[in-house]
Amino acid sequence: MGVLAIGRRIVGELRAGLDGPGAQSAVRRLHGLLGADAVGLVDLRGDGVWAGRVPEPFAAREVVAAVLRTDARATGPGLTGLPVHARDELVGALVIAGDGLDRAALLEAAAWVGEALERARLEASAEVAEQAELRALRAEISPHFVYNSLTAIASFVETDPERARELLLDFAEYTRHSLARGGDYTTVAGEFAAIEAYLALARAVLGDRLKVQLRIAPEILPVALPYLALQPLVENAVRHGVELTADGGLVQVHGEAAGSEAILTVEDDGPGMDPEHAADVLAGRGNPHSVGLLNVDRRLRTVFGPGYGLVIETAVGAGTKVVLRVPRFQPGVVA
Amino acid sequence: MTSGSGGWRVLAVDDVAPAVGELRRLLLEAPEVGSVVTATDTVTALKLIQAGPLDVVFLDISMPGMDGMELASLLARMTDPPVVVFVTAFEEHAATAYGIGAADYLLKPVRPERLRAALDRVQRFLAPPTGAPEPAAVDALAAVPVELAGRTRFVRRDDVRYVEAHGDYVRLHTPSGAHLVRIPISRLETHWSHASFVRVHRSFLLAVPAVRELRSDLTGGLLAHTDVGDVPVSRRHARELRERLLDAATRGVFDGGSR
Repeated sequence: MGVLAIGRRIVGELRAGLDGPGAQSAVRRLHGLLGADAVGLVDLRGDGVWAGRVPEPFAAREVVAAVLRTDARATGPGLTGLPVHARDELVGALVIAGDGLDRAALLEAAAWVGEALERARLEASAEVAEQAELRALRAEISPHFVYNSLTAIASFVETDPERARELLLDFAEYTRHSLARGGDYTTVAGEFAAIEAYLALARAVLGDRLKVQLRIAPEILPVALPYLALQPLVENAVRHGVELTADGGLVQVHGEAAGSEAILTVEDDGPGMDPEHAADVLAGRGNPHSVGLLNVDRRLRTVFGPGYGLVIETAVGAGTKVVLRVPRFQPGVVA
Repeated sequence: MTSGSGGWRVLAVDDVAPAVGELRRLLLEAPEVGSVVTATDTVTALKLIQAGPLDVVFLDISMPGMDGMELASLLARMTDPPVVVFVTAFEEHAATAYGIGAADYLLKPVRPERLRAALDRVQRFLAPPTGAPEPAAVDALAAVPVELAGRTRFVRRDDVRYVEAHGDYVRLHTPSGAHLVRIPISRLETHWSHASFVRVHRSFLLAVPAVRELRSDLTGGLLAHTDVGDVPVSRRHARELRERLLDAATRGVFDGGSR
């Protein structure tokens, strides 16, 4: 195996870090590559993996301690210790036993290991960031809407206490649904209940400016889908199609069965948008404030497969229609 | 059980005083509830339980000290325990709650119509079926006589999509037309509730399998669309209708049905 290929293997094996399953094999490859008597890779706690025969284990521990303490090269009898850096930060030590080794090659090996570890870290943090992003998207409750709702409710406390009470119960239902835990499924019926709670609040806030028509065929009520797959689309339609227009608008929500699928559409007669902009939104290149659609699209694809993303039909001045298809029965998706 | 003619004796327990006050207010609106005592901690609750016979206990789960679950486990060991209904802010306890024999499980804040359903369940716990067939077991009014051009005909219940009240009369809406019959809607409701009819409005009784679509009009009012017309659904009946529809759809009632 060529040196480059070995190098690539080492990088791959260090993907899970110094305490990962590949570390032992990576150290064995380094050992062969450097032609040393023994090679050890030690993390900041002093735990290490070794390849070859270490002539003086006690002296090797001393060298490791010196490297980690000083963040600099240290030597012992027939031993060289080098600091390993990832993103300019000390993450461990590389210890080589043997005489007459090429000093430049050793430095290169330490740098190599450091870069491999750096890449491993970046990958891990990217994954964490992605999960956090999805989680953050999910918990999206518009503060704007919360305060508007509470203001509307407060205004009814004196004049129409019964309505205020009713709206507070709607508010509780809206937040309960929005705060539901990730990875769970609800039914079309559950999602529609949340939509009605949301719309009752939105009507209290927007008054006559908001006109809504819901039409839902009863046979799709038990269809399972991820929490908040439909309600954010309605919220989106109200926000962009009605709130932003002076004389209000109409939002239509329609659900029906079509063979083995349920087709759900949310349509507004608001300002619409350039279809290219809609494509950008679904590709994650849109306005960071309109993450609702992107989020729903991603979760639907994750749950039902790549063919089940959102379809947006829109043009400037022509309103926006979002179409969502879900299988009526999907193994493993149970509300 | 000790529920006498004076109505149920109910205890409501919640460490949040306004929550227990609201629950008491809602409970006192129910005709079957006679009296409601309240406690905002489990020690007081235990004293009240020991002091007098109770029919029903509404219990918050998350309370300082002994929580509602522990209190319910104690109650379960009594010789004649009251019926327990949990009232809680979180859904996660539901399985455990039913596991220890609770009649129902309400989420806070409690909606009046949901409490109504819980009280119906309590009723079944307090008076379990005796085994003797009820009088209504005879399928009364499976067909209704109507006068048509001086002749008496029968309208089959299964052909009725919905019933509309007109004073002492009702109009039975069927694909072959509407028929006026002299019978109070409440009586039809009693006889037909076992046959998938549900009250959706003060003046309307609806056949659940007849619903083709649930629609809302522009002002937020809900309509049940059938092939012979739209039926208004009042807000307080909307939830129950949706649950009945969900239940019917889960059983496949709407798949290839004849209506």
